[in-house]
Amino acid sequence: MLGLGVDRLRADMNRLLAMLFHQGVLDEQFLQLQQLQDESSPNFVSEVVNIYFQESEKLLRNLRALLMDREFSDYKKMGIHLNQFIGSSSSIGAKRLRNVCVAFRAASEQHNRAGCLRALELLEHDYCYLKNKLHELFQIEQQRVLAAGVRYPIQQIN
Amino acid sequence: MAALQSVVQSCLSTTTASSFGSCKGGGGASSASANVMAVHDQFPAGLRVLVVDDDTTCLAILEQMLRRCLYQVTLCSQATDALNHLREKKGYFDVVLSDVHMPDMDGFKLLECIGLEMDLPVIMMSADGRTSAVMKGIRHGACDYLIKPVREEELKNIWQHVARKKLNENKEIEHSGSLEDNDRHKRGINDVEYTSSVIEGTEGTARTRSQKKRSSGKEDEDGDMENDDMSTSKKPRVVWSVELHQQFVSAVNQLGLDKAVPKRILELMNVPGLSRENVASHLQKFRLYLKRLSVEQQQSANAFCGPVESNVKLVSHGNRFDIQALAAAGQIPPQTLAALQAELLGQPVGNPGSTIDQPAILHASLQRPKRAPVDHGVAFGQPLIKRQSNVSVHFPQCIISAEDASAGGPWRSNSLGTVAPNSNLGGFSTQNSNVFMDTLQQEQRPQPKRHQQSLLTEPVRTINVQPSCLVVPSQSSASFQAGNSPASVNQSCSFNRSTAIDYSLLSAQSNNNSSLNIGRISNGHHKTPGILSGYSATGSLSTPSSSVIAESSISPQNSAVTYSDARQLTGRLHNMSNIQDLYVPKSGEMLDQGAYRNLGFVGKETRIPSRFDEFESQSNLNHGNIHAENIGNPVKQEPNMGFVDNAKGSPIFQQFSSSDLMSVFNE
Repeated sequence: MLGLGVDRLRADMNRLLAMLFHQGVLDEQFLQLQQLQDESSPNFVSEVVNIYFQESEKLLRNLRALLMDREFSDYKKMGIHLNQFIGSSSSIGAKRLRNVCVAFRAASEQHNRAGCLRALELLEHDYCYLKNKLHELFQIEQQRVLAAGVRYPIQQIN
Repeated sequence: MAALQSVVQSCLSTTTASSFGSCKGGGGASSASANVMAVHDQFPAGLRVLVVDDDTTCLAILEQMLRRCLYQVTLCSQATDALNHLREKKGYFDVVLSDVHMPDMDGFKLLECIGLEMDLPVIMMSADGRTSAVMKGIRHGACDYLIKPVREEELKNIWQHVARKKLNENKEIEHSGSLEDNDRHKRGINDVEYTSSVIEGTEGTARTRSQKKRSSGKEDEDGDMENDDMSTSKKPRVVWSVELHQQFVSAVNQLGLDKAVPKRILELMNVPGLSRENVASHLQKFRLYLKRLSVEQQQSANAFCGPVESNVKLVSHGNRFDIQALAAAGQIPPQTLAALQAELLGQPVGNPGSTIDQPAILHASLQRPKRAPVDHGVAFGQPLIKRQSNVSVHFPQCIISAEDASAGGPWRSNSLGTVAPNSNLGGFSTQNSNVFMDTLQQEQRPQPKRHQQSLLTEPVRTINVQPSCLVVPSQSSASFQAGNSPASVNQSCSFNRSTAIDYSLLSAQSNNNSSLNIGRISNGHHKTPGILSGYSATGSLSTPSSSVIAESSISPQNSAVTYSDARQLTGRLHNMSNIQDLYVPKSGEMLDQGAYRNLGFVGKETRIPSRFDEFESQSNLNHGNIHAENIGNPVKQEPNMGFVDNAKGSPIFQQFSSSDLMSVFNE
């Protein structure tokens, strides 16, 4: 029964991942990330992703603060933030966020404030979406690990 | 072959010391190849990698990836931290991975620092994969540029940069003959430095000498030197801070790069606790650095047409022309140019009313399309040749007419190449030659043979800078003719007395020279002898650095103009001015001759510390002030930093810093 649960959870995970890939939210870099996870760092993916979320929220706050400023003119700083955002997003395989950031950067380079605002909104939206989905993913994974852990002693007993 | 292998081994030894020892045992060629293989099996493992990135997400991922490659990873989230780390553990790291954008210090600046202080392969990383960004990295000397997301496969391969570097160094060692005089050789020695102590135990025949040298150098480097920062190491080591480095550079300048020997430098620096060996090893690195710099510039010059920018203000007789000549290669972004222009225009000018600004020139330059490298080369190297006739004709006369001045327009449009054409204006030709020479100097400096210095006499020596020379355009026809000869710039450079500097050797390289160097050239002390009185009296000149040269040279109403590089540390300014004073009478005698003395090296020196900024195009470090004075008063251009102005003359200020110029070029 529990073993079935594990399989079902794994299937759920795969389904979720497939959907995110299909939607273009994630790309294969995320799989690379998963491959980096090994015995020496069993929670590598979730750790990194959590770091990413923290950093991203900081960046999003900064970007919003920059854009909300009435006399905003520091497009260069915004570009630097965006570059970092692009770097970290692409590093964890957050493809869609990365693409939005690229568009954002293009708008900021043209000093297109309206475009920047639109991009920021999209960015925030997509960020929330990604965060929710990844949390969901990690939750399923946790359940799976728990289920697998539960099954282990049972196996021994048998 | 054996030697080559030993190098490979040596480079490997840092990481796989133990295995290396066993490898060394094998003597024959066959076993040697086997050794290499064996080493290769182990080599990349244990590679010491320093990762610098302010993005902790990337840092975490990189750490994990590198660890899986079996590299030893050290993480830094701040560039300054990384630099401290590198300084403390000199020779420990094999390769540096650095992000480009970091809040405390730009990745390129870090790259500069590392290039200056230690010869490590640096790999840049950025999410910004646009060609301009990558090119910037290449120009700054990054050995690779990874675009984020960085993949594990790419990281697996970074050891090749370490190995390549070692191999190259080894080759150079093989080729070089004597340790002492050969830059290349020094470089080789330098490299050995990075290998671990294990090397010192090896008895590779090819390296014994350098090894020995190295080991002694190492001891010395560890030798007593009071420095607070180094408290961690058992023996305090010398940290070449910016100040210390500047002292060093000025000492080298005083002596002349070729003549600079550690002992003399040490005496001049007069820093307690610094040992001769410290200086020696730093001198090696410095030479290496200069060499690399020139190579870099050469390359970039080839890649892009170097923008040359010269702001020229002409003062001839009663008429004053203010020509702002921006001869810019297409590379200069219009905004920057505009900004520069604005800056220039905003500058206080001695006699605002009388000066004529020619913004049109600017536009011309703006519109310049990108120039082919070839053109560029022509512009730089051949102006003299091309315009020879003009030069010869106009020079003797040294008459600059209004038309000539205005003629700047067409000339401008030609941009750099055109600068040469300007040679119609005596001044311009001088400028070219100056630029030329300076460039040459730059290029030459790293070269083992430096002839230019040899001719300098004592008085020069105080001024010191090797290539200091007077270019006397007035001899134009003859001297410029010389330009035609293979040695393109054969300027009769008269210095003080009979000192003649032969640049012919330099000229050989001229074609390769990049316009990038121009920025430095700009530094100038102008001294206008009394003869110029009309010139100087009429008004203070405000010239942006580069223009300085052109300007004064233009002035020649048969007057002697002395240029010297003003960028010096304070102490040296005095020397300079003194010398100039001495010189003045001479120059007066030389009427008709626009005498130009370019202390290229000095310029360079100052530039080195500031170089980090320059590349950023934001650099403000060296703002030159130009002071125009009558007869006795030298017109000086000085960097802001720590300069005491000797000149009594009315200072005219140029916000325009040579470094700015540089940056423009770089852009």
